[in-house]
Amino acid sequence: MTKKKPSVPIEDRKPNVIGATAKPLYDKGTFIVTIKEMLPDSELLGNLRKTFQKGDVLLRENDHNKYLYIILEGNVEQVKTGEDVNTVIGRHGPGDFIGLLSFQTGEAVFTTARASSEVLTLQFDHQSFELFMSRYPQISKTLQGLIFSNLADRYRRVVVLHVEVATLSKELETERNQLKNTIKELERTRNALITQEKMATLGELTSGLAHEINNPASALLRSVDYLIATLPAMAERAGALPDTGLVKYFFKAGLERDFSDTALQRAKMKKLAGDYPDLGRTKVRVMAEMSDPVLEKLKPFARDPKNQALMQLLLDAYQSGVFMNGIRLSTQRIEYLVKSLKSYIRHSGKEAEETDLRQGIKETLLIIGNRLKDIKVELDLPQIPSVNCFVGEMNQVWTNLIINACDAMEEKGKLFISCGENAEQKKVWVKIADTGPGVPNRIKKRIFDSSFTTKTAGGDFGLGIGLAISKSIIEKHHGTIEVKDHEGGGAEFVITLPSTDDK
Amino acid sequence: MAEIYIICVEDEPQVLDVIIRDLSALEEVFPIEVAHSADEARVLIREIREDGNHIGLALCDHVMPGDKGVDLMIEMQQDAFTEKTRKVLLTGQAGLEETIEAINNARLNRYIAKPWTPEQLVKVAVDELTTYVIEQEKDLLQYMGVLDQARLQEAIRNKGYI
Repeated sequence: MTKKKPSVPIEDRKPNVIGATAKPLYDKGTFIVTIKEMLPDSELLGNLRKTFQKGDVLLRENDHNKYLYIILEGNVEQVKTGEDVNTVIGRHGPGDFIGLLSFQTGEAVFTTARASSEVLTLQFDHQSFELFMSRYPQISKTLQGLIFSNLADRYRRVVVLHVEVATLSKELETERNQLKNTIKELERTRNALITQEKMATLGELTSGLAHEINNPASALLRSVDYLIATLPAMAERAGALPDTGLVKYFFKAGLERDFSDTALQRAKMKKLAGDYPDLGRTKVRVMAEMSDPVLEKLKPFARDPKNQALMQLLLDAYQSGVFMNGIRLSTQRIEYLVKSLKSYIRHSGKEAEETDLRQGIKETLLIIGNRLKDIKVELDLPQIPSVNCFVGEMNQVWTNLIINACDAMEEKGKLFISCGENAEQKKVWVKIADTGPGVPNRIKKRIFDSSFTTKTAGGDFGLGIGLAISKSIIEKHHGTIEVKDHEGGGAEFVITLPSTDDK
Repeated sequence: MAEIYIICVEDEPQVLDVIIRDLSALEEVFPIEVAHSADEARVLIREIREDGNHIGLALCDHVMPGDKGVDLMIEMQQDAFTEKTRKVLLTGQAGLEETIEAINNARLNRYIAKPWTPEQLVKVAVDELTTYVIEQEKDLLQYMGVLDQARLQEAIRNKGYI
């Protein structure tokens, strides 16, 4: 903001554009003294005396005026009626004229003149003015001079006003620009905050995804390496043997392997190692993984030292099946992740679409699954009418609420997600509750404010404005979000959104 | 004679399969045992102890249901039986904070990021087991076949006897 200049009444400002140094043509004081000296002896002047009380109106705007007043004592204000303000545009004292223009030109009065104290004037009409001029030629010249001086004064004032208006406009313009910049700046800050929060959500998602994808990717890569190394040898060995269907059988058994408890597995391994002391641990481990019927088929070869090549072939076939299955599972998982991610990030900006809210909730759970490893998720998601919404934005809401719940529970507890409809009001609701410490009553109202966060600076992901963003998203969808206490402890967020009419 | 075990703790069966596969060359000297969680690992460690054997190397995933890999490693560091065990964290995702915690409190020896290459994994396992046997074992000759020969030879020379 620019510092405001102290405002100076216009009439006090010296017209410094022109005539700042010009002396008045005639001196008002001398004129008044002369008139006052003449008063007692002049019947003409004596008859022209007119006094006004404070507040009396000498001239009224738009009236026709027959008089010219010369102020001898006291002060008069000139007031102009604007559209909704009355502005004092000038003050006049002894020696000044009131009604000069309307008197001379016959035009309607331009500004109202009102006594601001008791005022003594000489009130001339045209006749008395002529008379005065002819009877007192010695001072009529002074009077004319004063009239010109008065007009020149008015002219100067107009010029000063013009300059004043231009200056004010410029100041206004500057201030307006500054305001504009401030608003832009605020908007930028707000957007930066939102982007930062989005990036934090994105960070959570990315690190979650990295983990979710790295595991199957590792398994995939390594399984393929193993198969590349094993398959040619297997093919050669198998080629040397009569076709018994055993290779296929063991391969299939490997494909269908079930993982059991590792302690049981170890017990089985120990027993097998005792039964077959000549076999190495690697072989015994694979055998321990086999189901009993499969193991029975292998046993004849395992006992016979001459059949070790065939034994190895069958173990390799089994292992190949295991790795093939690993490849299949890993690929499926990556595919599923990518699919979910695609639908998760279907972005706003386009049009809102009719959506089953449950879809987005399930995808969100899948994508941030790494945060939910120790959290028991209880879903109660019956069929609900669809909602017209921006899927990507709604997913951000689910992500924020679920991650908040996980943070609140410190990664251990239960997460309840349920939904339902209020058919009468054509609304659907989603509840997300946790078994964390809950939201204290005193901050319940504030948690949706963008300036409110419980996260400490430099701590966790995000700025903690997730709830504020969630709220603005929900409100954009004409819905509401509120926080309650969950039965039995914890917080419960209830989101209500209008459903689309047709189911 | 007491055996020196490698234990692998990882909740994903497919990942565990490939870890075992990658380390299979070491298996004939260092038996490999697996666990799917920290809880299973505790049972496994107890069994190995009860059988009178040792654990030379623990490879541990970080993100698992139940206790995290780092928690398990800190626990192992505080237990005299597993204090000397070489500890390697194997993970696709551990925040900086958790890594620092692992290094400070669990005396984490290595950190392997997923996905790894078999050469990487085997090299880390060989390095760590070599360190373990040099510190803990008298007869180093028997490990020449699978571990770091150069370091073993130097250790033998330093000890002055075979």
